[in-house]
Amino acid sequence: MREAAIPKIVALVFVGGGVGALVRELLMLQVPAGPDGFPVDIFVANIVGSFVLGVVAALQARRRIGDGTNALFGIGFCGGLTTFSSFVYASVVLAEKSPQGIVVVSCYVLLSVLVGYLALRIGQRIGGA
Amino acid sequence: MTAFDYLWVFLGGGAGSVFRWFVGRIAHEHFRGDFPLGTFVINVSGAFVIGFLSVTFGIDWHDRFGTTLKSGILTGVLGGYTTFSSMQLDTATLADKNQRGGAVFYILISVGSGLAAAALGAALAR
Repeated sequence: MREAAIPKIVALVFVGGGVGALVRELLMLQVPAGPDGFPVDIFVANIVGSFVLGVVAALQARRRIGDGTNALFGIGFCGGLTTFSSFVYASVVLAEKSPQGIVVVSCYVLLSVLVGYLALRIGQRIGGA
Repeated sequence: MTAFDYLWVFLGGGAGSVFRWFVGRIAHEHFRGDFPLGTFVINVSGAFVIGFLSVTFGIDWHDRFGTTLKSGILTGVLGGYTTFSSMQLDTATLADKNQRGGAVFYILISVGSGLAAAALGAALAR
């Protein structure tokens, strides 16, 4: 598959990233926080985004999808849906908040990293990697 | 949540994502090592900025819409700019290259530096 032109890639990343961010915002509006402020919404966004990126990356590695599709769904949507800034900032705030906050944060960080990695690997498997 | 909030989240998320793609390209052109420097720099810088802006403007960490700053910049631009999924893909890619140690080092240094950057950004704004 030939390489897509730069302006086309930029437009696809923009639209995918915008939609991904909107979905993340909707999750933040719909999903209530867990016990002791565990940020379930960002957790869900990061896990789902990692899974989808696994599928997209595997399909791209097998040349089943082109650069344009990867730009829209992989770089755009998954990058826009998942977030690192809210992930770490929420952890810092929750850790400072209360004595048990550090326990909640440790669970949040560990679960996000481990489940996120697992989700990506499952996605890659489904994508045929 | 108003129609304008959705618009700002979309525009910010799109702009942040394009900026991430751009920074990633530059990092890829200038750094040839195996360490995924692009995603690392993006995530740590974004973490610093969200800490700094949140404290400067007195915005609670789960308060992410209602004004242009919250919807457009914090949820949109910074959320679109930083990425959790690419960090995981970078880690998996390193592990697949038979660099298990490198993969563990990368994810630990990413999360550790991100937490430190967010705390530093917040501390500097106080």
